[in-house]
Amino acid sequence: MRDGWDDERLLAALGEAIRASQAVPSWFVETGKNAFAWHNIDAELAQLTYDSSTDMERTAAVRSETASIRALTFTSAHLSLELEVTENSLLGQIIPPRPGALEIHTRAGEISTTEVDEIGCFAVDPIPDSPFRLRCRTADGTDVLTGWIAI
Amino acid sequence: MRDDPQVVALVTRASGGDQGAWHELVDRYAPLVYTICTRYRLSNHDIEDVGQNVWLLLVEQLGKLREPAALPGWLATTTARECLRVVTAANKSGRLGTGLDDSVLFVDDTAIDEEILMAERNAALRAAFAELPPRCQQLLSMLLRDPPCSYAEIHAELGIPVGSIGPQRARCLDRLRRSSALAALGANESKINIRGGEPGA
Repeated sequence: MRDGWDDERLLAALGEAIRASQAVPSWFVETGKNAFAWHNIDAELAQLTYDSSTDMERTAAVRSETASIRALTFTSAHLSLELEVTENSLLGQIIPPRPGALEIHTRAGEISTTEVDEIGCFAVDPIPDSPFRLRCRTADGTDVLTGWIAI
Repeated sequence: MRDDPQVVALVTRASGGDQGAWHELVDRYAPLVYTICTRYRLSNHDIEDVGQNVWLLLVEQLGKLREPAALPGWLATTTARECLRVVTAANKSGRLGTGLDDSVLFVDDTAIDEEILMAERNAALRAAFAELPPRCQQLLSMLLRDPPCSYAEIHAELGIPVGSIGPQRARCLDRLRRSSALAALGANESKINIRGGEPGA
């Protein structure tokens, strides 16, 4: 192509390339750059293995049109997280049951923490209104991170 | 272009934890991801949502990409899949009202392939432009303004004699054409039609 383009075509193509880049809003680029914060998180990833609302497709993030009751399961090699969405809160249990701490990570980078009791149960209340992921650290040292969840 | 050594190097560095390389990758391919989102006519809110998902998925996949050079293709198909999911969800909930037509749901593979080729070419052109001496960048930028600057304006701003602008323009474009960034573009180029390029514009 280098020899195939005369000056006019090359200049026009350059203009197009620059305009294509300028057309991208800066917030869009920032979003992409900020994603690197998730690089090399030292946690085992738990995959979505069941979603009552779609039931057919495994996806990294899930969404639903309504806040109706919904069940989700995330599974990693060492544990599963079973989640149940109720009208007002998100209830969950670690299987096999064990105590620990649960972190709720939002897209904006905010982290809140809630306790996981002796039988592995926890509650996330209120349910975040934007996509989030859960990181579970149990007393025995297991560290598991779910994919993105949108409810 | 599939084995663009620059892309491979950026992926390798980013996967090793180099944030600067990640930023370069995002700068390079944000236009590709963004353009595909606009093809699905998503709202800004949904575009942000899709963008976040795509980049986060890439962060997690960085070390596992079997063929780093195929990154543009991976990004394009991942973006299209994420867009489709947003559109389908919005459609189900009636959020798009009557504005949705079938063409949105069927952005075909050929269109996506074309976006990939365009994105690769545009990224190479921008990289080549960045390698030019500042003087050439200034001159070409003025020629690319809308409307393009007249030779008299270029003379006034850059101090180049009017009679030298034409030859300098040709030399700058020649440097652009011979740059290593553009050399990475392969035979695929001949298949791409230039869209909307006006001579001298």
